[in-house]
Order: sequence, then C-alpha cells, then structure tokens
Amino acid sequence: MKTDAVTTAPGPKAPVLSVRGLSVRFRMRGGRQVAAVADAHFDLAAGECLALVGESGCGKSVLASALLGLLPGNARTSGSALLDDGTDLLTAGERSLARTVRGRRVGLVPQSPAAHLTPVRTVRAQLEETLRELTGARRPALRPAAERAAARASFPAGHLDRYPHELSGGLAQRAATALALIGDAPLLLADEPTTGLDRELVERTVDELRRHTDGGRALLIITHDLAAAERIADRVAVMYAGRIVELDDAERFFGRPGPRHPYARGLLDALPERAFVPIPGMPPELGALPEGCAFAARCDRADELCSVQPPFDGRLACRHGARADGEEPDRA
Amino acid sequence: MAETDFGPARRTTRRIRVTASAGIVAAVLLAVLLVPPLVQLDQQAVDLAAKLRPPSWQHPFGTDDVGRDLLLRCVYGLRVSLLVGVVAGLTATVIGTAVGALAAAFGGWTDRLVMRLVDTFSSVPHLLLGIFIVAMFRPGVGPVIVSVALTHWLSTARIVRSEVLSLRSRPFIDAAISGGASRGRVVVRHLLPAVLPQAGLAAVLMVPHAMWHESALSFLGLGLPTHQASLGNLVQTARGSLLAGDWWPTLFPGLFLVLPTLALAGLAGAWRERINPRRRSELML
Amino acid sequence: MLELTRVTAGYDRREPVVREVSLSLAPGESLGLLGPSGCGKSTLARVAALLHRPYAGTVVLDGEPVRGWRHRAPRAQRTAVGVVFQQPRLSADPRLTLRELIAQPLRATGRRAEVADRVAALAPAVGLTPELLERRPHEVSDGQLQRACLARALVLRPRWLICDEMTAMLDASTTAALVAVVESYRRESGAGLLAVGHDRVLLERWCDRTVGWQECSAPGAPQEVMGPGGQSS
Repeated sequence: MKTDAVTTAPGPKAPVLSVRGLSVRFRMRGGRQVAAVADAHFDLAAGECLALVGESGCGKSVLASALLGLLPGNARTSGSALLDDGTDLLTAGERSLARTVRGRRVGLVPQSPAAHLTPVRTVRAQLEETLRELTGARRPALRPAAERAAARASFPAGHLDRYPHELSGGLAQRAATALALIGDAPLLLADEPTTGLDRELVERTVDELRRHTDGGRALLIITHDLAAAERIADRVAVMYAGRIVELDDAERFFGRPGPRHPYARGLLDALPERAFVPIPGMPPELGALPEGCAFAARCDRADELCSVQPPFDGRLACRHGARADGEEPDRA
Repeated sequence: MAETDFGPARRTTRRIRVTASAGIVAAVLLAVLLVPPLVQLDQQAVDLAAKLRPPSWQHPFGTDDVGRDLLLRCVYGLRVSLLVGVVAGLTATVIGTAVGALAAAFGGWTDRLVMRLVDTFSSVPHLLLGIFIVAMFRPGVGPVIVSVALTHWLSTARIVRSEVLSLRSRPFIDAAISGGASRGRVVVRHLLPAVLPQAGLAAVLMVPHAMWHESALSFLGLGLPTHQASLGNLVQTARGSLLAGDWWPTLFPGLFLVLPTLALAGLAGAWRERINPRRRSELML
Repeated sequence: MLELTRVTAGYDRREPVVREVSLSLAPGESLGLLGPSGCGKSTLARVAALLHRPYAGTVVLDGEPVRGWRHRAPRAQRTAVGVVFQQPRLSADPRLTLRELIAQPLRATGRRAEVADRVAALAPAVGLTPELLERRPHEVSDGQLQRACLARALVLRPRWLICDEMTAMLDASTTAALVAVVESYRRESGAGLLAVGHDRVLLERWCDRTVGWQECSAPGAPQEVMGPGGQSS
C-alpha cells in the first residue's frame, strides 16, 4: 500500500509492530470460507497504546490470536506482522514463537486472568517458573526477582503465597500482568483485559496498563469497552465485519472533531453517557459479507457509491470521507 | 459449525474404526436374525462319529465334543447372549435413569435415601451380587437378565443424577420456571432431552458389559442351562477339550464374545464424540 | 407494588450473601440496583423473580405475599415477573431454535394458539429476522441470543421485569438497543423494572431511580464488598 508513511506513528523510533495487509480466513465445513480479518494495516510504536475496538464477533480477537500464532488449524493467514527485529509473527513457526517470541518479544495480558493462572500453584511459584524460563534466574536470586516482578505490576508481596482462587478479580489481573511483564517484551497484547470487571476495577486495570506503556512498551489493547479505550489509548482503530474502518488519534476520536466513519459515530452515540441510541440492525455475518461496504445496510448515508468496497486510506474506509460537520477530511 | 483441528490422519483412523465397528455389529445382527430361520440345520444335532473335528470346509469352526457344528452353535450362542445383553442393558439403563432423575428432581430426603441405597449396592462386588440373585432361581434366561439388570443400574443412576443436578441449576431452567413451566414440563421438555443421549450411550455401553456378565455366570455354571448354547456355556464346556489340545471349541466362541463387544464399544465411543463435541471456539461464529 | 423486606438469602445458611436487604418498586417505576460483582445482587434478583427461596424476610407482589418460590409459587405469580439473565448462553436451552425459545412460556401456560402472532410481533421488536428465528443458540452471537431471551421474558406480557446484568456481556450498540426494547415495552404496558448491574452510568441513564447495594441493606449488616483499595474480597 502506498499509505505506509501516513500510518506510521509520529516519532523517531521504528514501529515495534508493523501490520500490513493482515487477513485471516477460516475454512469451514462444506468448503465455505469465512473472512474473519481482511487487510488490516497499522503500526505501533514504543510508548504508544493502540486500542482496537468493535462489537464482539467483528474479528478483533481473531486478529489478536493471529499475532500470537494461536489460530486453529483451519485458519489461513496472509499479509505480514513484523516485529522491529524483523520477525514475522504470521510466518514464524510454532517452535520459534514458543522459544523466542511469546513472553520475550510479545507479552500477553489475558482475557480472564483467573483462567490463565494455574489453579494448583501459588502466584509465587508461577512467577518463579516464568522467571527461570525467560531470564534464566536460579535460586537464591529467584525469590527476590519474583518479588520485584510482582511489585512491578503492583501485586502485593503479602499475597504471593496465595493460590489463584484466593485472589480477588483485581489481584488475579495484576498477577497475570506481572507474568506478562517478566520477559520485558517490548510489545504487550491485552485481549479484552477488562471483560466482566466492575467499572472501578476496569479503570485501575487500564491505568496500570497505561503506566507500563509510559514506561516504553508498545501496547495493543483489544476491547469492546469504549470507556476503557478512551481512558488508555493514544490511537483508536475501529473494526467492523473484519476490517479496520477507522484509525485516528484517541483525542480526536473521542473528543473534537469526533469519529468520521458512520459506524464509529454510531458506536459512540450508543454509549449511555452520550445519546444512548443504538445503531439500527445487526452486523453482517463474516461468512456472508456483502460486495461493497459491510456497513451500508445499517448506514443512513449509504448510496450507490457504497456498493464497491471502500479502500482504507490509512485513516478511514468510507466513500463519504468528509465529516458530518463538514470539516476537511484530511487534516492530519 | 467450525471444523475441529484434528489432523487428517487421526480423522482417517477414527473413520476406519467406526466403519469396522459398524460392519461387525451389522454382520452380528444379520447372523443372529437371519441364520436360525433361513438355515434349516439343527444346532443340537449330535454326531458322535464327528466329535472334536478341527475346522474344515464342512465345519468351518470344527465340531464340539459330541460332534455338533460349532459355527452354528456360536451363532445360536451369540443370539442368546445378545438377547440377554440387550434386554438386561436396557432394563438397567431405564432403572438407572429413572432412579437418578427422580433422586435429583426430588432432592432432600429422597435423594439422600436413594443415593445411600446406591452406595450400599455398589459396595458389594456386582458379580457376587449377581450370583446371589441367580442362585435364588432355577437356571434360565429370565433370572440371568434379572440378575444382570439389577446389578448394573447403579452407575447410570449416579451419572444421570449428577447430570440432572447440574442442569437444574442452569439459568435456562430458571427461565422456564419463570415462564410458567410446571415441574413435569421442566423434566420432560428440558431435563430429559438433555440427559437421554447420555443415558442412551450408557445403554449401548451396557450391552457388551451385560454379555460378559451372562458369559461369566454361565461359565460358572450358574447361568443358562448347559444344553442351551450361550457363549459362556460354549466356553465352559470347551474347557476339557482345551486341556487335550483342541483349541477351536474355546477360540471361536471367545472371538464371538470379544469382537461384537469391542465393536459395540467402538460405536458407543463415536457416539460419545458426537454428543460431546469439543467446545466451539469463540473465534468462530 | 413489588416489595422486598429484610430479605436474607444465599446458598449457605451460615453465610448468606444477601443480609436483610429491603427495596420496593412501584408499578411503572424503574429502579436500578447498583453493586459490585459478587455482592449478592444477583441472588436478590432471583429472590424477587420468585426463583430463589430466601432464608428470612418477605416478598409482596401486587399486594399478595409470596408464600412459595420456584414451582411452589402459583403460576400466575411466577409469570407476572419476567427475567433476563446476564449470560444468554446459559439461559437458553441449547436444543431449541430461537423461535421455540421465545414461544416456550406460551406453550408452558397452554397458550399455544398465540405462538405465531406473539412471535411475529416480538421478533421484529427485538430486532430478530425470520431467518435468525430458525437457528439454534450455537449458531447466533451473544447479542442475538440475548435479544431472543428478552423476547422470551416479554412474551407473557409480565407486569414486572427483572434484568440481572442483562447487558454486561454486550457491546454499546446492542446494549442501547435492548434497553430501548425494554423501555418501549414499559411505556406501552406500564410494567415496573428492576435493573441490576454494576455500571453506574448505564443504570442512571436507564432508570428513574438508582440505589447502591449498601443503601438497601439494613444498617450494621456486614457487607462482602470489595473496598476501594481492592486488596481483598
């Protein structure tokens, strides 16, 4: 694509993660194909947080799984997802992913921390095991190292000898975050880290993740919680029916002048703190996408232009590029 | 539906196993249903001149110690064993399902009483209990069925009870109650349909088990009268000739017992995979 | 009125999760009950929906004291309260199509003849297409399934509606859509609503009145609520 220069984040550093034309298809029974992710482009720099938002089923979790090499066997990927050392996450084999990438280059903050932690071992034992694995630390250095690792994620040292089921939701989340931080991976990937948490806990979790981002890591957070995204993100990517339809600075997106894609506008207007008005209709199924813009059927501005798939120009994939308020479309 | 990520090799092995099992079961059913009415030979026909002949074209399985054709004896024996297995297995499953469902549905005292009863029965080795039951009657098909059925409903009752208990606490049962469903409707419309595949699976697995028990009882001389060809009886009467080096009167009835039971178990396994598919991945719609 | 007075309930008599909680709801009123997860508000919602027998306390429904819960409650009392739960996957019998799911309460109460009309009227109201109605739960998304569960709760036209974290698993647009369905039903029928949840912004936008979990517990009753520090539960 010719738009690489536009999507690259401002700043001197090379992107920690550079995703180009990433597509994921599932081959279903009966030869049917499901395009779960189509042609995703974005860059992510150190110290930056990109929030990938969208309804459940829009393909954002599939994208995360693709980056971690955790797709099921019937999935086919194309495009590339390059780390700054040149590793392509899509083509690296399972062996090199396990040995040199997961935990070391990419840390995962999981969706349900309680399920991610081993139930029969204490938090300390799990931290020490991960430290041994990733840093090669041995006794007697292991014990203080585990305590340092816990402290980094604000996990209280007094709770280190507890089992996962003895922890509150917030502490389990911190324990999982501590594990994700051990390998000093430059890229953190958080997949719906706030699902099912109370608002207060969402905010604390998100603030802690932000702190790690400010410490120089790159963070890709995948969420359907727009309030969480607004609190943490530098940039926002909106996904609809497998495609990124808008990518913008969080401040512009959530504040003035607001999102440009009609779907993104609808999503924000559905929030109870805003208009609380739903987008009419439901998202199309990934196995039966229309020819043109997938949102056209629900869009009040749809016209004949929308019968052709709108290209993503690095910021927007909509034929009606201008904002509703008439502001110039390309004032980057 | 999403495809599971079984490798093609594993899928193929599974398919071969299922096909082979289905083939054996079909052959067994054909043999026991069609051979007796179609083949006008008397399985009891004694031919002392041809006793203990090894397998030949005339007698593919050889003959026994009084010259009866072993192939024919085996088919008739399988017929009796299968009858006992199916009837006893189904009876045991029906008893187990009813007891387990009732215990779970009523709860409280009923549940505790019934489950203690189940525990008591389970604490006695069931072959011993079965022997005790058949010993109270004259040898025959009926007592053997009763004995096997009465000793085999326990595990089904336990499985069904725990299944119903776990279903009962699901929100969809709450929703049905809130929607005005009566107790009977909840059981018939929501609980039983969820439990029946499990119970059916238990029944299929029970058939080979019951066949083995019938054979064991007959082998011990407590089951069917010795003149009646059952697989257990055939193996039992063949013991003497085995010591004399004549292998066929033991081998063929043994194979007739082992192959169909393995095949049934194989089919049941495939069925279990069907009713308990791997949890669908959230990645797929 | 739907009145709960000093209700104590839970799953272990020695450690009830709900202690002496009281709240009352006038016809046509909507009340948001706000509390952190695990505080016992879902148990209270089940008590109010006549699905969980409390250890102590009274529930009065439209002037009639509730004497039995679950099947021991008279059918007329049970069906006066519609319920929607948090997890649509667990709230739907996996063997039924969405159409059958919505029709279940009509069939259970001997109103089979109304199935076609009621489903035809409700499905578009909750946003389900005829094609979706023929699918089973595993073939639809959480949002679509929750729409069907809401339609099932409304199919008997209950005078009271209890939504227990109805939208906790859903995205913003589906949340707004389901709330709009509930509100339009209430405008037309005058039903009262108890909405239980942990999202203050949502409940305050949705309901006439919002109370915190602590405010409706009797003073002095110990609370199992996570402190602001979140260090323990």
